[in-house]
Amino acid sequence: MYKYIWLVPLLPLIGAAINGLLGRKLRFSEPVIGGIAVGSVALAFLISVAAVYSYGFGGHPQWPNPYLTSQDGFSFTWIPGGAVSINQGSEARRDAQLEKQIEERMASMTPEERAQAGPQIYAKVESPRYALLNIEWSYQLDPLSAVFMLIVTGVGLCIFIFATGYMHGETGFYRFFAYMGLFMFAMLVLVMGSNFLMMFVGWEGVGLCSYLLIGYYFDRQEAANASRKAFITNRVGDFGFALAIFGIIATFGSAQYTDVFNEAKSYPVELLGHWGILSWIALGLFIGACGKSAQLPLHVWLPDAMAGPTPVSALIHAATMVTAGLYMVTRTNVIFQHSQTMLLVVALVGMGTAIFAAIIGITQNDIKKVLAYSTVSQLGFMFMAAGVGAFAISIFHVMTHAFFKALMFLGAGSVIHGMHHEQDMRRMGGLKKYMPYTYWTFFAGWLAICGIIPFSGFWSKDEILWNAASTTYIPLGWLVWLVGTIAATCTAFYMTRLMAMTFWGKERFLEHRAGGEADEAHAAAYDEGHAPHDAVEPAAGDRPRHQPGEHVGPVDHHVHMPHESPRSMWVPLVVLAVLATIGGFVGIGPAFKPVTGTDHPGDRLNIVTWLNPIIWNPLTREFNVPHDGEHGAEAAHGAPAATEAAHGTFIKAPYTDTGFNLAHAVDNVLHNHLLTEWTFIIISLIVASIGIGLGFLFYVKSPHLPDIWAQRLRPLYNASYNKFWVDEFYGWAITRRVMDAARGVFAFDSRLVDGIVNGVATVSRGLSLVVGAVDKYFVDGIVNAIAAFVKRLMSPLLRAAQTGFTQNYALVMVLGLMIAVVLFFARDIATMLRQMFPSIIWP
Amino acid sequence: MLNFLIPTLAFLFQQAPEGRLAQTWEAATHPDLAKFLVIGALLFIIGVAGVLTRRNIIVIFMSIELILNAANLNFIAFSRYLQDTGSVNAVAGQIFAVFVIVVAAAEAAIGLGIVIALYRNKETIWVDEIDLLKW
Repeated sequence: MYKYIWLVPLLPLIGAAINGLLGRKLRFSEPVIGGIAVGSVALAFLISVAAVYSYGFGGHPQWPNPYLTSQDGFSFTWIPGGAVSINQGSEARRDAQLEKQIEERMASMTPEERAQAGPQIYAKVESPRYALLNIEWSYQLDPLSAVFMLIVTGVGLCIFIFATGYMHGETGFYRFFAYMGLFMFAMLVLVMGSNFLMMFVGWEGVGLCSYLLIGYYFDRQEAANASRKAFITNRVGDFGFALAIFGIIATFGSAQYTDVFNEAKSYPVELLGHWGILSWIALGLFIGACGKSAQLPLHVWLPDAMAGPTPVSALIHAATMVTAGLYMVTRTNVIFQHSQTMLLVVALVGMGTAIFAAIIGITQNDIKKVLAYSTVSQLGFMFMAAGVGAFAISIFHVMTHAFFKALMFLGAGSVIHGMHHEQDMRRMGGLKKYMPYTYWTFFAGWLAICGIIPFSGFWSKDEILWNAASTTYIPLGWLVWLVGTIAATCTAFYMTRLMAMTFWGKERFLEHRAGGEADEAHAAAYDEGHAPHDAVEPAAGDRPRHQPGEHVGPVDHHVHMPHESPRSMWVPLVVLAVLATIGGFVGIGPAFKPVTGTDHPGDRLNIVTWLNPIIWNPLTREFNVPHDGEHGAEAAHGAPAATEAAHGTFIKAPYTDTGFNLAHAVDNVLHNHLLTEWTFIIISLIVASIGIGLGFLFYVKSPHLPDIWAQRLRPLYNASYNKFWVDEFYGWAITRRVMDAARGVFAFDSRLVDGIVNGVATVSRGLSLVVGAVDKYFVDGIVNAIAAFVKRLMSPLLRAAQTGFTQNYALVMVLGLMIAVVLFFARDIATMLRQMFPSIIWP
Repeated sequence: MLNFLIPTLAFLFQQAPEGRLAQTWEAATHPDLAKFLVIGALLFIIGVAGVLTRRNIIVIFMSIELILNAANLNFIAFSRYLQDTGSVNAVAGQIFAVFVIVVAAAEAAIGLGIVIALYRNKETIWVDEIDLLKW
């Protein structure tokens, strides 16, 4: 079945093409458009499930090698690149070859010889200088792309179904689903492509669709600005990604994953502070990942992207597109694991983003903004996992996060729908009674993100924190753990706050009438110039928003009672809630060995075992090394130079001593490995409970506390409320400078360049006047004089010829005929005359 | 000048082969094609000149008849010539001449009808005064 995976990206594209090209022209009804979109994605999902099943569980010999569609003929040469000069990474390549040859030589020696000959071995090294670059378009199915295919099509299907309800009545219904289908196509190309160029195409494709969908309400300034912001911020990251791809091609002479990783795996590891070619490539890739996954310097676009419709936020800005950075980092884990520096950078950036966004999330009042910052924070957690070397765990968190965050975004969409386009949580409260389905599904998502056992978020988040504490890949693991734990506390706190403000407590929508549809009506009037705009500031959402209770003009705003959403919206919520609840069981960690019997229960159903074939093991320097017992690198911790592994080759411990290791320290105190792991699990459960408890205390028990504490922590509160002034800083440091530069260039252009051009134009205009006069009076005069002369001379003759008598014309015809005859028979006539009058001397 | 005139006169007044009777008989049995053609050509030229120069439409008709008869003369002459030179059944030219006479009669009838109609309207048969279609 996996031979048909090329259909998976194609089906959503066909659906999008039908909807986008014909939807408006043929005036498709909403059920038709929704049916085409949902149907194409559902088919893609079914094919994905069947393909992944037959690939991983059907006992097929293809496992665990990646399956490329080119094996079955589905591929074509996309970019015939020609000869490529391989001019990068020659040092690393030389070292790798040298090492390999020395190892071979050593392996063939007896131990005595080996002891003597160590420093005397030398080897010949050849470095390729050119390669034939040929980039094909073919899809790849391997454990990583399988996970992403299932997430993208599965969660995507739920969101598509939800969107048919949420977008009901929108004028651009067909446009919305065309963009969504196009997004599915691009995302599937991104995760299923077999080379970096295809990943780049998908990468740009999802960026484009993100731009189009954020700006779906393009008639609103906020949405238009947000879409441009997202696009431009992503350009920064894409620049790094493009450079990294060039670096990869210049180093490995190929862009195909299999070729690149097979060669890269033997390269020497670049330790902390050593910037070899692989570190630079990893840096470029990570900049790209930062842009797409909204990591710290480039995170600003994601919260603004909430100006798009809520299903878009769920699909693109929570579940799938923003995890593309994680996909890329995990896909290139060989390269990242070769660079300890970049691992540290990834971990620290992830850590910083996690705590940074979590703190901002505490003070936001817009329900979608809270979720947006929560997404940024969770992405930080994922990068933390990748940075400490737990790539499989980061993908595990991608998966669980896709479940619970898509659920929460859709839940928020349902709330917004039920509250008549109200997004401000200060005007909600007590919705539990009105929206039971939304409430209970949201409840599951809340427990999952807080990390309560046994909800899915617990398993992945706990694994991330444990890996951070016990990492031997990078130094400062303890710091990453500490900050991650604090961020987890904040997460629990702000999610409890969101629950409390939205679903529990007083029904504040009865008190504060300004907002919701009233805001919409007022804003529409403002747009059309009927009503004065007296809102305090344009805040989250689309149009000028108002503070609760604020007077917004003469219009009397009625109270809108919230209502539960239609079935097409709550059924996907239920599906996702079930997934968010039980989705974590595919990644039960080694701490539960006494219960489950193995480190990673479930065989290939376990995500760590499943992803093993694509994870490079720095200890054995091979792919697909089963994780037995502790993490592979931990056994190598502190090992000196060369040790002999079980299969007889010589390997070097890749990373040197990484300093203080929290897990080891605890282990040394407790002398029991299992107990150590449980200590960390209990700590993370306790901090989650503290966060939830604080949330209860602040927003349920004694609602006056938040104001008091906001007063006490005024600077921190202000910083968080204003998002640490990052936007303002960028505005001051970059946007203003760029604008100034643009103005300067414009002034240069308009004054100097335009001046020159205009001067030249004036001069040539004057010249042309002179030339025109000369032409008019001199040249035309000559021409007219000749014409007049000819006219005077010829016209009497020609006039005389035009008698008007038919007979004259016939005479001319006869004369012409006679001349023609004479000319035609000239030779014969001449001959005849010669014969008739031979006595005449003819000329 | 004399150089040119003497051969021309010699051609026109060449000596007959024998006596007058024999000469006539000879001409009747073996007609000289060239002479008929010359006569036909003269008739044709006179007709064309008449068509081109006369303004009376009746005279133009008559001139057209001359042109047609020139053609008829040629037909008859060639027919006779061909019969004389062997193909006894070469009568197509004579039949054609009959056709031409018939067609000429019909054409004259129509043409004269038109002329009468014209005369009734314009009271003239001078072609240079019949200029209704000029512009």
